[in-house]
Amino acid sequence: MVVPGADQSDEALAALAASGDGRAFELLMERYQSRIYRLACRMTSETEAPDVLQDTFLQVYRHLEQFRGASRFGTWLYRIATNVCLMRRRAASRRPGESLESFLPRFDESGRHEDTPETLSRMSHLDERIDRERLAERAHVALDLLPESYREAFVLRDLEELPTAEVAEALGLEPAAVRQRVHRARLMLRGYLNDLAGRLP
Amino acid sequence: MSDVTCARGVELLMDYLEGVLSAGVMESIDRHVGGCPRCLAFIASYRETPALLRDATAEEIPGDTKRRLDGFVRSLSERPRES
Repeated sequence: MVVPGADQSDEALAALAASGDGRAFELLMERYQSRIYRLACRMTSETEAPDVLQDTFLQVYRHLEQFRGASRFGTWLYRIATNVCLMRRRAASRRPGESLESFLPRFDESGRHEDTPETLSRMSHLDERIDRERLAERAHVALDLLPESYREAFVLRDLEELPTAEVAEALGLEPAAVRQRVHRARLMLRGYLNDLAGRLP
Repeated sequence: MSDVTCARGVELLMDYLEGVLSAGVMESIDRHVGGCPRCLAFIASYRETPALLRDATAEEIPGDTKRRLDGFVRSLSERPRES
């Protein structure tokens, strides 16, 4: 008999869990709890994160049999969690805030950066010049303002640090589309942070 | 692609960093950036962005939330699986 244990792969535990082994399911969820919590905070909010986790765990439990091991278990789980986050965001019907478009880099007619090197690097060492809580608060505001499809790609790729190929699989996109979205998100967020740095006393 | 502009370089930046461009395009970007203080400054800040946001949003799960979720997972795992 196979006993679920910490040394077993996610995929092995998932197979045991699907065959009715409750302990395997608990171990698997324990393994991902912190990561999915962080993901949920980044994609929704700290208030909504516990509900996102419950919904995600419930979905995983219900659909375990459908996990066939064609992808990594983690990728499959991220796909479910991302969808739950999206659902929550829609249900909360967030009011449209300011757009981040205005933070995109600007170029003159010859294609040259309009801003000077000094202006472009205002955000250098921003984390040492701003209160930790204020930076966290601004970071969440900025993530919240991103277009939905950019946020998902950016959070998975750059904050959860999944490889581009895995993000593509989790979101059902081509890697090139993931790169394009992550890139646009980085450009907007960079501009947002640089602007924030410029306003510091 | 001998005359890369700042705008063109920015457009290709992520592809450049992920190494999915052809060697020729990579080289022409290198040539432009090497002589462009604006692009150097821009790229440094672009590369700094993910880590800044990652560190600023690395929330840990509070103890009582964790206990509640553990309880929820247990309630699921003790349920007989429908087949």
